[in-house]
Amino acid sequence: MALKYAFYTGCSAKGVAPELYDSTKLVAEKLGMELIELEAATCCGAGAVQEKDEFLSLTINARNLALAEELGLDMLTICNTCTLMLREAKFKLDNDPELKAAVNEVLKEAGLEYKGTIEVTHFLWEVIDAVGLDKIKSMVVRPLREFNIAPFYGCHIIRPPYLTGYEDPDNPSSIERLIEALGGNPVDHDARLACCGFHSFWSAEDKVTLKLTAMDTQAAKKQQADFMVTPCPLCHTQLDAMQPEAEEKIGVNIGMPVLHLPQMIGLAIGLKPKELGLHKHVISTKAIVEKVA
Amino acid sequence: MEKFKLKVFRYDPTKDDKPYYQTYELPVEKGMTVLAALFKAKEEQDPSISFRYNCRAAICGSCAVRINGHATLACKVQVKHMLEKYNTDTLVIEPTGNIKPLKDLVYDMDWVVDKLKKIQPWFIPKEEPPADGKEYRQDPYDHHKIDFASDCILCNSCMSDCNALKANKDFLGPMVISKAYRFIADSRDGAKRERLEAVLKDFNLEWCVRCMECTTRCPKEVQPYENIIRTRIIAAEEGFKSPGEIHAEIFEQDIYSRGLLNEMLLPMRQEGLLGAAKRAPFGIRMFFKGKVNIADFFGGHKVKRHDEVKKIMDKAKEVKKNIKIRLVSDVHTPYEDNRKSKQGG
Repeated sequence: MALKYAFYTGCSAKGVAPELYDSTKLVAEKLGMELIELEAATCCGAGAVQEKDEFLSLTINARNLALAEELGLDMLTICNTCTLMLREAKFKLDNDPELKAAVNEVLKEAGLEYKGTIEVTHFLWEVIDAVGLDKIKSMVVRPLREFNIAPFYGCHIIRPPYLTGYEDPDNPSSIERLIEALGGNPVDHDARLACCGFHSFWSAEDKVTLKLTAMDTQAAKKQQADFMVTPCPLCHTQLDAMQPEAEEKIGVNIGMPVLHLPQMIGLAIGLKPKELGLHKHVISTKAIVEKVA
Repeated sequence: MEKFKLKVFRYDPTKDDKPYYQTYELPVEKGMTVLAALFKAKEEQDPSISFRYNCRAAICGSCAVRINGHATLACKVQVKHMLEKYNTDTLVIEPTGNIKPLKDLVYDMDWVVDKLKKIQPWFIPKEEPPADGKEYRQDPYDHHKIDFASDCILCNSCMSDCNALKANKDFLGPMVISKAYRFIADSRDGAKRERLEAVLKDFNLEWCVRCMECTTRCPKEVQPYENIIRTRIIAAEEGFKSPGEIHAEIFEQDIYSRGLLNEMLLPMRQEGLLGAAKRAPFGIRMFFKGKVNIADFFGGHKVKRHDEVKKIMDKAKEVKKNIKIRLVSDVHTPYEDNRKSKQGG
């Protein structure tokens, strides 16, 4: 069966993480996933609108979901927070008929309706369940066998369970299984299920955020990881682009490269580091690029 | 009978330089809780193990510990289920995280009490009791808003696994803010502003990283994370200005004016020109890595069909006034992907 999705990019892949957008498109095509980009979709609110006006955030995301319903396709996301915000809207609307009616009263203003007929899913989950690890294994042309890879799940793909539910939030294994399918060595580390700190950046940059960023990247370094990998561009921005600030904060050099999930898959299935955008990272990926060459 | 290993964190500051772990081998008895396993180890193998407990029925909140890294009530979970969950023959039992251990699994509760005092965790009536001598009455929806928050048993599970607290012990923490919310949102309470001021001091409320650990950990469906968010909504409604409130405003404006967030202009709008100047090294770094979209400095592009977005957002503000959003009652049952149920699981 052909795999076809309504592709919700989110703001980051269209903004500070263009390499995520590019690598997702390339890898999806190779894996036989057809992505129809939702060019009319808006920001999911990212938890920010949600903490000011819950009803507004629900209507915005009901519209986003309705756009995928128009195509009759399940919605594929590439950001943990987008996944969670869209799932939250779907869950609340599907379980509260009065709320759904009120939201549809609003959507009618633009000739739209939210029905609840499609599912929201994440690239990671579809790669594992729909494409399948056996198929991925068969496509590997450059096994990642000399790499120790530290998975960094990112909060919003595992918690809270009523909105994620793909695997046990306390003991997930999807990223490890994917790394193994690509021939790499998953390394266990203290920050595997920890938070990158991104969402309190503007309120607690020094007090909380950069400390977490430093702890996370140091945890991976302590286990001799060659790089970290994350399914979330917000974690990526925090752990990669803000790593120099975190280093400055604690006065220690860390230098831990962080890859987006599709970049890691891409390297193993024969895509070039340059087309996957590995040169667009703040923390140098040179050592990785030289090894795969 | 099948056996398992109970690996217990041991520490007695009067004798030990540093903590160590001691392992006890026990049978996996039918229905045995982790608390029962601790008792069995204490009664049959080592009377020196210290741990707190009382009700043994997930009501008192005394026996919170970390099991294989995650906080929960030892009396609420069964050994067999935990072994299956972690696919292991060993359960590692540690005191709750973020908190100073006093001896073995017993931790220092004082720092939590000190935090609680700051938010005055007791009812301060808004008005005199009703003249008819009856109790203070409340609209059912007003009660619904604090229904879950009222169920907190102060067990510390959420404080244990809180990522913001891990980074900074001055964060009030999910349990304390959630307790504050229980009174802030109470229609009968008269100290809303004082409590909001207490949680917003140094914008402490906004140190929360939204990691969802608290809601995932809570054994009583209190949903501390959701209560933190509701507190933030009330603070915004009450006119408190904060970085988080400004941030939310920027997101709302960008969705209204173009659909996606304009990340390039965000720092300047968030912190002003001076603040943005501080971010110059970051900006330059991002530019040279090809992560900066120049067009965004001039407003950038709009998403397609953007006219719909404005109409919807305007209308939502109007409809919102008549809506009473109900809280989710079960946050622990895993989300069910409806494609799986369609395929018959």
